[in-house]
Formats: sequence, C-alpha cells, structure tokens
Amino acid sequence: MPTHIKNNIYAIIGNSAAGLAAIESIRRVDQSSRIVNISNQPQRPYSRCLLSYYLAGQYDKDILWIRPEDYYKKYDTEVLLNTAVTGADIKNKTLEISGKKKISFDKLLIATGASAKFLNIKGADKKGVFVLRTLEDADGILRMLPNVKNACILGGGLIGLRAAYALKRRGVAVHVIVKSEHIFSQMLDAEAADIMRQHLEVNGIEISTGLEAAEISGKDSVDGVILDDGNRLDCQLIIIGKGVAANLGIVKGQVKTDMGILADERLETDRKDIYAAGDAAQAYDVLEEKNNVNQIWPAAIRQGKIAGLNMAGEEIKYEGSYGTNSLDFFDLAVMSFGVVKPKGGGFEELIALDAKRRLYRKIVVKGERIVGGVLINDVERHGILLHLALQKIDISDIKDILADEYFDFGKVIPLIKRQANLFIRPEYKDTCVTYSPLY
Amino acid sequence: MVQSKKIFCDITRCIACRTCEIACAVEHSITKDLFLGMLERPRPKKRTFVHFIERDVSRSTACQHCEEPPCMEACMSGCISKDEKTGKVDIDRSRCVGCWMCIMVCPFGIISRDITDKNKALKCDLCPDRESPACVDACPTKTLSYESRDEFLKRIKQAKKVYAHSHKK
Repeated sequence: MPTHIKNNIYAIIGNSAAGLAAIESIRRVDQSSRIVNISNQPQRPYSRCLLSYYLAGQYDKDILWIRPEDYYKKYDTEVLLNTAVTGADIKNKTLEISGKKKISFDKLLIATGASAKFLNIKGADKKGVFVLRTLEDADGILRMLPNVKNACILGGGLIGLRAAYALKRRGVAVHVIVKSEHIFSQMLDAEAADIMRQHLEVNGIEISTGLEAAEISGKDSVDGVILDDGNRLDCQLIIIGKGVAANLGIVKGQVKTDMGILADERLETDRKDIYAAGDAAQAYDVLEEKNNVNQIWPAAIRQGKIAGLNMAGEEIKYEGSYGTNSLDFFDLAVMSFGVVKPKGGGFEELIALDAKRRLYRKIVVKGERIVGGVLINDVERHGILLHLALQKIDISDIKDILADEYFDFGKVIPLIKRQANLFIRPEYKDTCVTYSPLY
Repeated sequence: MVQSKKIFCDITRCIACRTCEIACAVEHSITKDLFLGMLERPRPKKRTFVHFIERDVSRSTACQHCEEPPCMEACMSGCISKDEKTGKVDIDRSRCVGCWMCIMVCPFGIISRDITDKNKALKCDLCPDRESPACVDACPTKTLSYESRDEFLKRIKQAKKVYAHSHKK
C-alpha cells in the first residue's frame, strides 16, 4: 500500500499488451492517481497475436478479448476508445486528441504499437488486398472468404505463414511468395527453415522463394498477382506479410527515435516523464548486445510492466529485451531465440538433427555463453536454454550435452550451485538447496 | 505476508523411482486408477518430471509457481494467472490456443504440449481436488513435500544438523 496519496495523471496511449501491463502495474503501487488510456481501436482490448487463430476458425471471436468487460472499471481507468492522438506537446505535457480536445498529463507512456508494412506496387489498392494486423483486417478477410478459392500471401515471415496456415484451414488454396531464399528468414536458420518449409508443403501450402510480386492485377477487385519472373498466379485474395514498423508519428521529432522510440534502462525516453514500451519502443537487446526493436508479445508485457512501475515512482531496472518466438503449424512446433544466424567470428554452433523424426536443435554459443537457439518439435526445454542465455551463464560444464535430446533441467542444477549469483529467480535456489556433491 | 505453499524436493532422498510421475498422471486421469487409466484416451499425462543431475542423483521437478511467472507475461491469450492469495499459477484451458509461448519462456522446462488433448499447454495444477498434491502423498521416501519456502528451508537446515552430528560420531 502506498504511504501517501499520489495525485498524478498518467496518460497511456495504446491498449494492447504494453498499455494494459502498464495500467496494471501502476495500479499495484498507486491507487489514487488518474489513469487515462487512449486507443485508436474501437473495441475493448484484444490480442492481435490471436487474430490468425480466429481467422483459421479454430476459435470464436470471444478468444480475442484478453481482459474482462469490466476491466477499466476494475483498474479505475478512464478510457477513450476509437480516439486518435493527433498531436503531442511534450514540453507542456498535453496531448491533442480527435475532436481537438486536450488532455494534460504528468507522465506519458507511448505504447502506440506498430503497423503492418504495406507494399507499394501497382494494383495494391485493389479490393481484396489485406494486411493482418487488426480485428478489422481479420473480419474483412473473413467477409471475403466465401468468394475466395485461391489466395496469395506476400511474405514468408511469421504473419505471412500464420495467415497462410489459417486460410489453408479454411479450405482456401494458398500460395506463399517469399523474397528471401528461405522462409522465416528473420526467425530461423536455413536448416530449420527447410524442415518447416517441407512440413508446410506436405500439408498443402505452396511456397515459392526468391520471388517477388511485381503487380497486382484485376479490375476493382484482385484477380491475380504478377511475379517478377513474369509468371502470373490467379487469386482473389492477397495478404501482405512484410513485417511491421513502429508507430512513431505522434512524437517524431520530439523524442529520440531510431527504428523505434529509444527507451533507457527505466524505459524512459530522452525526455523526462515520457516513457515508451512495446512494439513502438526500442531498448537494449541483451542477446544481440545492441539497441533493437523486439516486437513480440512477451517483450511488450514486460516493458509495459516496468515502465508503469517507474512512472509510478518505483526505481525498477529493465533487464533488457530479446527476440524469441514460437509457432505451431499442423502439429509441428518451432521456437527460436536470440542469434540464430551468427555473423562474424567467435560463435560456435551446437547442432543435433534427426530429419526422420523432424527433430532439430541448434544452440549458438559465444564465449561459453548461449546467445541463441532454434528448436523444432522437441521444444519443451526451450525456456531453460533461453534463461541460461539471458542470465549470461557460463555453460562450458554442460556444453557437450546442451543440444542432446536428453538435456533437461536436472543438468542445470550444478550450474546454479556454482554460479548462484547469476541465477536471479528465487525459484532457482529452491530447486537446489538440497543438492551438494558433498552433502 | 503468508508464504504460499508449493512442492519442494529433497534431492538427498530421491531414488528416481518415478512414483511421483505415476501418481500425477493417475490423479489427472478420469478413472483415477493406474490400470484403468492406461486404457483412457486421451492418455492421462504427468505434469512432474524426474530429472537426473548426475549419476544416481535426481530430483522431481514440476511447475515452481514462480513469484514473477514468465509464462504469465508471455501468454498472448491471457489464459495464465497467478492467484494472489495462494500463489498458484494456473492455465485456463478454455482460453489456451496452443501457441506455446509459455513453454518458450519457462525457466524449468516443465510445461508440456498436450497434443493428444485439444493442443493445450499442460503443467502442475497442485491437484485442486486434494489437500496435498498426489505426487507428495505418493512419494515413498518423503522426498517431496508441500509447504512454504520458509518451512522447507527450516526443515532442511535441521536435517542437516542431525546428519552432521550423527556423522561425527
């Protein structure tokens, strides 16, 4: 409980992962101040990450609502939905919202998220060309579906292939056009990408790599796509999956930005009392060892939580972000984290491949520390490796068994004993108090 | 603040008999019977795992019900929650979509993919129908206990004293 009543106004732009996590963490330490949450989305909070599951017809729309209906009441938060922030005056601490209204604040969190990158090619404005980022996008695609036999997905990354998977499950013939030589070129190394590609193709998703869409054809509506090799594919629906870019518009020129809004250890920007979190933010990446945007759900929640606590006057250091992702297609799971395609010297790759059982484990080591990894199928121990990496544990004692199929948490216990100060979670200690080779 | 209870393991007592694993699967079966459970489809599954640390040294590990659960932060459907009173971390199966983000970030690697039963994440639920988890009750060497961290540490410290004392003789 707070020792004194605080009287701040916290403005939070965005009501997805980072925004919600901030509201929740602020309310943990400050029950009296005002919180104003502004979102350009018309709906109550929903999970974008689940849109492809909804699109696939695996789950009803209900699955999308990640917070209860009385959420804002419960957290005593004023909410302005369907409201665009049209301007921000950082110096005078005021926001201008649609309808020329003004909101003053003491602390501001920019959790404006990211938008799907669009493709600027001829015909991209035709009816039937979509991105998959918002609920409107998903509903728009669903409305078209009865008239769609063939769909083209432009982009072989996470969103592109999740969209392809969803449409395939809906009975649509799907062709994925990928510019790179391999699918998942950001998330996976070439070997893992090939295993996944084969699996997707066996399950009926067509994939072409090394090709790009040159033009989208059709009258008002899409009837096909012309590729840069001159070939034409018939389709009535196109989904663009070319990644996302941080939404910086509101504050550009007022706070320091790069690919995202630069946030420090407390997730504060270069301007006092202005914080950034989630897909819009760019923070220190502990595995890549540089400033980086990691536009993933877990990072957004963590950053929102830490930013919220710091806004409310706590002094909490953010341990840094990292890239990681998990996907599942037709019952084959794949996960990766950190550096998967090491460039330059000093890296060592520990690889175990069993192509028949579609088992693949690759762990990237640098200076006796794990910096990245890719796992296919046997993914249950991904988190163990991830946390060894994040805590910068010296793994030289267990390096020879790290990629082993039989590697499990038991093998980590001696390391916890020897490098106790690096294992920060209290639960690590719980697991090994009774372990001592001399006990 | 009352410390929440969870399952602790005294590594010095574990003989890797895997009784905990079996008791766990039976408790989470429909018939709650070892033999009949084997006939059930989907098969009853264990949520605790015996891991070897070195030769002849093992421990049984299930969900640690973390103070700051990474799985809860990573879950993109918001189906993982932590009970503020009991400290228990729970998965709401009805909202789990099988994205495996929880598995991706679990420091202990003890969440499983329940692929034969609706593709949901599976982990220790501390046996909601029982006073004490089935694995703890079944453990023949009293390796496992269900108590708070302080109780566990106190008990272990005392046991150490007894051990050191008898050793001196």
